[in-house]
Amino acid sequence: MNTMSTEQLEQRAKEFRYVITDMICRAGSGHLGGSLSLVEIVTTLYYRIMNIKPENPAWEDRDRLVLSKGHAGPVLYVVLAYLGFFPKSWLKTLNQNGTNLPSHVDHNKTPGIDMTAGSLGQGLSCACGMAYAAKLNKKSYNVFCIIGDGESNEGQIWEAAMFAGHNKLDNLIVICDYNKMQIDGKTDEVVTLEPLADKWRAFNFEVFEMDGHNWDDIYSTINKAITVKGKPAMIIAHTIKGKGNAEVENKVASHNIKINNQSDYDKYMKGLGYTMTLPY
Amino acid sequence: MSYHDMEMRAVYGLTLCELMEHDKNVLCLEADLSKASGTNPAVCTAFPENFINVGVAEANMIGLAAGLAREGKIPFCASFTCFASRRVYDQITISVAYANTNVKIVGTAPGITQGPNGGTHMDFLDLAIMRAMPNMHVYSPCDVYELRAVMKYMATHYQPTYMQLLRPKMPVVFNESFTFDPNKATKISEGSDVTIVTTGYTTHLAVNAVEQLKKEGIKAEHLHYSSIKPFDEDLLIQSAKKTGCVVTVENQTIIGGLGGAVCEVLSEKLPVKVKRLGIQDAFGEVATEQYLLNKHGFNVEHIINACKDMIKCK
Repeated sequence: MNTMSTEQLEQRAKEFRYVITDMICRAGSGHLGGSLSLVEIVTTLYYRIMNIKPENPAWEDRDRLVLSKGHAGPVLYVVLAYLGFFPKSWLKTLNQNGTNLPSHVDHNKTPGIDMTAGSLGQGLSCACGMAYAAKLNKKSYNVFCIIGDGESNEGQIWEAAMFAGHNKLDNLIVICDYNKMQIDGKTDEVVTLEPLADKWRAFNFEVFEMDGHNWDDIYSTINKAITVKGKPAMIIAHTIKGKGNAEVENKVASHNIKINNQSDYDKYMKGLGYTMTLPY
Repeated sequence: MSYHDMEMRAVYGLTLCELMEHDKNVLCLEADLSKASGTNPAVCTAFPENFINVGVAEANMIGLAAGLAREGKIPFCASFTCFASRRVYDQITISVAYANTNVKIVGTAPGITQGPNGGTHMDFLDLAIMRAMPNMHVYSPCDVYELRAVMKYMATHYQPTYMQLLRPKMPVVFNESFTFDPNKATKISEGSDVTIVTTGYTTHLAVNAVEQLKKEGIKAEHLHYSSIKPFDEDLLIQSAKKTGCVVTVENQTIIGGLGGAVCEVLSEKLPVKVKRLGIQDAFGEVATEQYLLNKHGFNVEHIINACKDMIKCK
């Protein structure tokens, strides 16, 4: 576990946003909005909370993360690379032919990815399996699972929720990236999730809500969720899609951007409002 | 009671218990059909920790199994074939086959054996659709001894797998000494006039047909495929070279399953005439097995006639 100060984390997050935007723009297209909404959450998990060994990604006692909204791969890749799971030079290969960093996460390609995901709704079931296995194996690791709000339309999410509640998987902490937008529009307009917290309570989860961009709130809420006994935890993270890049922030179109030429690239990089040196 | 006298599903439950005895990582997953699969009460009382019932939630069962497998568990997930294959096709494709997780999927009551539940539950596609999936092995044992050998193989080899499980008592074809190798089919009888290829449910029908053909002086070579994928091409080619014609018989659609596999191999490597018996692109219905066998044209008499027709065509 890392002991970075909030200021240092803030600086790191700024760099991550810069790299994520560059990676996706280089690739020519990608899920920028849903990656940027998770920067503080994924950074906090890996830098301040999760028990991991970058030099040994398969360490059996590590905490696990299932990125069920697998299309947010870029935010996980940048964090894993900076922690040393693989060289930072890989980052510029996102979605290139032969890459180890596909748009949707793949545990057979990328060190540090705990579960392949991409077809929405499936990762939470897998996370339940990992959490159940920990109980059977008498292991004390936690399983974190990040789901999308749009993903929560999937019936399998609720099958898994019913299972986790029934089996009292208190080593399972689910985080919903509630940026309130999905591909076709605002979640409230496509198919509303509300009352979201009540839904999860009804499925026998201990429910928390947090500001998904506030370092202290994220840290303290996840720590509270970890201590819950006898039931799984759901953290509804209020986030902003495309956070930190003015070109896409809080815009539905940020879900999957297309970059056709240099001026598109310049536009999205300019949206960050700062320049940095890329690590590759 | 010897295995000879047992229902296939009872042997499934019993064998799972044996496998759990040897390896505590073997798990039994059910989706509210545990009695139908033969694991309740056998497995859930003997190994309650290794038994997980997810309720009527097959998609979750497959994802759960994938997560368990990532942690070294060996989950056997059972449901009726319709729910164990077509209902969860994407879950199996991504969380099992693409992710290469060591999950064993067991489709029970295949094809016409789903009789009383009728058309909604009668699945004729599972061999075809599971065979089309990269990274999957697909098996269909015909009797208790083969079932036991296949299950032991599944529990000891890291391999995403789909297996059909016939539930009732089936005529015994093999014995205790049967060993399973997914790359090898079995020659049940030797002949030179026609090759009959079967798997799972249809094997005992062909055994019967071969005996009757023999009485009429026709020598049929009967090949039984425990594994539809991988598919033992060599044995088929050797046999077809000798006999010059092939009849396939399956408790499935003739599109893409066993007959499909045979035609793929022969059309590329040894073009000979093939007659595919099985479901001719149709849905099922509530009916007895005998009624459905007769209606869809793969009872013993149909097999005999198909063999004679093929020999005439040579």
